[in-house]
Amino acid sequence: MVCRLVRALPLGFFVATAAATAQTNNPAGPPVARSNYALTNVRIVAAPGRVIERGTVVFVDGRIAAVGANVPIPAGVVRMDLAGHTVFPGLIDAATSVGLPDPTRPLPTAGEATAAGRGAGGRGAGQPLGRGGPMAPPVALPEVEADAEAADMFQPSEAELRAMRAGGVTTVGLVFNGGIFPGRIGAALTGTQANSRLSLRTGAGQQVAFGTKRGGQYPGTGIGSVAFIRQSFLDAQYQARVEKAFKAGTPGARPSNDPFSRALVPAATNAMPSWFVASNERQIFRVADIATEMELKNPVVVGSQEGWRAIPALKRMGATAVVSLMWPSPENVTGRVFLAIGLGKSGVAPPLTAADTNEVRGNAAALVKAGVPVALASYGGASGADFRDRIRMAIAAGLSPDDALKAATVTPAALLGITAAVGTIEVGKLANVVVVNGNDLFAAGTPIKHVFVEGRLY
Amino acid sequence: MRLIIRHTRIAAVTLAAGVLAMPGARLGAQDVAIRNATIITIANGDISNGNIVVRGGKITAVGANAAIPAGIRVIDGTGKFVMPGIIDAHSHAALEGGINEGSESVTPEVRVQVKNDDAVIYRALAGGVTAALQLHGSANTIGGQGNVVKMRWGATADDMLFKGAFRIVKFALGENVTRASSTAPADERRFPMTRMGVEFTVQYWFNKAKEYQKEWDDYRAAVKANPNAIMPRRDLRLEALSDIVKGDLKVHSHSYRADEILMLIRVAEENGFKVHTFQHVLEGYKVADEMARHGAMASTFAENWAYKVEAWDAIPFNMALMAQRGVVVSVNSDSDERIRRLYAEAGIGVRYGNMTVNEALKMITLNPARQLGVDKMVGTLEVGKDGDIAVFSAHPFSPNAMVEYTLVDGKVLFDRSEASTLRKQAATTPGGNQ
Repeated sequence: MVCRLVRALPLGFFVATAAATAQTNNPAGPPVARSNYALTNVRIVAAPGRVIERGTVVFVDGRIAAVGANVPIPAGVVRMDLAGHTVFPGLIDAATSVGLPDPTRPLPTAGEATAAGRGAGGRGAGQPLGRGGPMAPPVALPEVEADAEAADMFQPSEAELRAMRAGGVTTVGLVFNGGIFPGRIGAALTGTQANSRLSLRTGAGQQVAFGTKRGGQYPGTGIGSVAFIRQSFLDAQYQARVEKAFKAGTPGARPSNDPFSRALVPAATNAMPSWFVASNERQIFRVADIATEMELKNPVVVGSQEGWRAIPALKRMGATAVVSLMWPSPENVTGRVFLAIGLGKSGVAPPLTAADTNEVRGNAAALVKAGVPVALASYGGASGADFRDRIRMAIAAGLSPDDALKAATVTPAALLGITAAVGTIEVGKLANVVVVNGNDLFAAGTPIKHVFVEGRLY
Repeated sequence: MRLIIRHTRIAAVTLAAGVLAMPGARLGAQDVAIRNATIITIANGDISNGNIVVRGGKITAVGANAAIPAGIRVIDGTGKFVMPGIIDAHSHAALEGGINEGSESVTPEVRVQVKNDDAVIYRALAGGVTAALQLHGSANTIGGQGNVVKMRWGATADDMLFKGAFRIVKFALGENVTRASSTAPADERRFPMTRMGVEFTVQYWFNKAKEYQKEWDDYRAAVKANPNAIMPRRDLRLEALSDIVKGDLKVHSHSYRADEILMLIRVAEENGFKVHTFQHVLEGYKVADEMARHGAMASTFAENWAYKVEAWDAIPFNMALMAQRGVVVSVNSDSDERIRRLYAEAGIGVRYGNMTVNEALKMITLNPARQLGVDKMVGTLEVGKDGDIAVFSAHPFSPNAMVEYTLVDGKVLFDRSEASTLRKQAATTPGGNQ
């Protein structure tokens, strides 16, 4: 699945943040010198299951220049003796909305809001600016701004970035919070914004969520949203047919000018994976129905909090689960009421036990066991230290530490189309690593000693 | 009926606090027999001291001397009455994601969503209900597609769907569609605002559907000669309307007044489709002949006189009068509370209109089964049909009647004896009324 996905993605989207950007970006900001480093005498977990017990990692110009048990250290690098420490690939939080605008944000003005009501996707043709005047530029409703790029809109505060790094998170997948087609998935680094470009990848996926439009427009309900999503995929598939016919010179073929349908063509024709936000069992079923009907290959299900209850549906559609570690309360899990009424033994809902909590937190473990590809995420919560704490709890609920590391490094890297840049400690990749005291990245009470993002020490 | 639903929700919640768990009724193949009961077959009269056997989810034997295989669960039916599971042809129970996509008046592409863990399903079982038609609300001229579900408490949402049932779309006429009760200023309200506008809306959209159908027919003809012909845009809304004309999607139309019923029959006939069932249809008794001639069925309330302006001419004789003129009549709940006592509603047809007991019981069994397209599978107690059965403590029209057991596909999903014990336990357990 992972390899297939990488091949399926247009590689042109990948934006390598070369070391040079450090000097050219944000000329107004204070220059921060970046050093080259050699981490010596350190235990290296280069990738899940690939361990060098004692070795050296060399960073040059923000990238990994060498890694191994015996590698030469170039002159002029800063040597850090990290005996007793372990270096891991920086964690990738596969989905966060931190730093992204809310798709339900108010529109700039009432006039533009009216204009936005027009058109299938909600992008208005604009309104004349007075009698005979020019047309105002079109305004897209954020709920259906399908060509918005999350990576372009990522504007976290420095405090939010610091918080992410504090949990060893060096890369984030960017997923909007809400909307219907709020835009495209991206990836970004968590370094400081002061002198580096965070955006790492645009167009990693097309986000789909069961939201509604504002102001009494269609769709205004969850049931309407499903129909709208189906129709939008069909419209984009039609757009693709006409575009193709137009290019072939077929008489009568004229593609529409609707930016919404045009934006959805890659997702509707499987040139880009669709990332559906779905947390409970029934929502996942709905995604499976849509993916099957629209012949979407390898969709991504973001949230998947009740994924363990919908394993056949996830497998049927060949989905990757981006599992949010923001677990539902066990008493709110779908079907809990069956234990209280009808199928129970006690006449009342049994009190919650550790097993109930374990079931909810064991979601990722159950999915991995069932063979569903899993990436871990803080979606719906805060990234950073809380994310790492929750990975520890997911491990306590049955996820193996290696699977956890995989689900927070190589799997999300592949899913986001950034394997060439991050996910493992390999020569040529960005120097995104986390160093802990001891052997275990996820153990309770293990302080994070250092975090490097693109070779910069934090 | 939304107001009524709101009022009665309080009562329903109170009941839920009382009726609690039922051990041992886990899902899974289960064979069961009920012995020595009065069996109301609906199809072939009543059988005194009869037995009924369900194996693999289907009725395998029913009769005075039906043999009960050894080793299967046997429910003693002595003194009890067994009837087919009750079918509610109009329900808004156990839905989520909204009931009305009210942003536009014609949205047949929208489909209701089952909320499989809504406790109302268990309450419906407690009233002997084993299947229902889940419908949209009535805000829209053409609201969307409903679901026929079985009350498989404990199953997933997908598994609750009644396989083989009709695809059904809900139309609506009258006050709800015209937003008569809306307090918004007239210039902010959505078209249509009058019954004339409703007629125009139906006509307008079926004209569009015709054009759409022609576009596809032309394409299918053209592509034979020209493989480069471009496949037209699929429009789920117009596709649904085309399906109505083809007969693949059955129209159930919310209606009250005689004039609007006649209007829809006329517009349907002009556009080549059939109104499969009129819902509510409180003035159906005035136009029963026209409905029968069109081939429309009727799903109505037992009474509900004057609960709104357009219900002013409602009479309790409506069911019987329509049935006398050859209309297939069911009585429905439209309510999360009334769904538990549909058998009492059906009995009103005996008191007002002199329906026979069997004809009255048909209104909650075989007739709604026909309206939902499931009469080959449920609605009577006959060999080969699904093991969807309600067992009553007395004749279902007796004021003392209570549902003792409800079976769906042969699985006992409600058992009052266990529910009663557990209700007592719950009452004495701290926090037990949660």
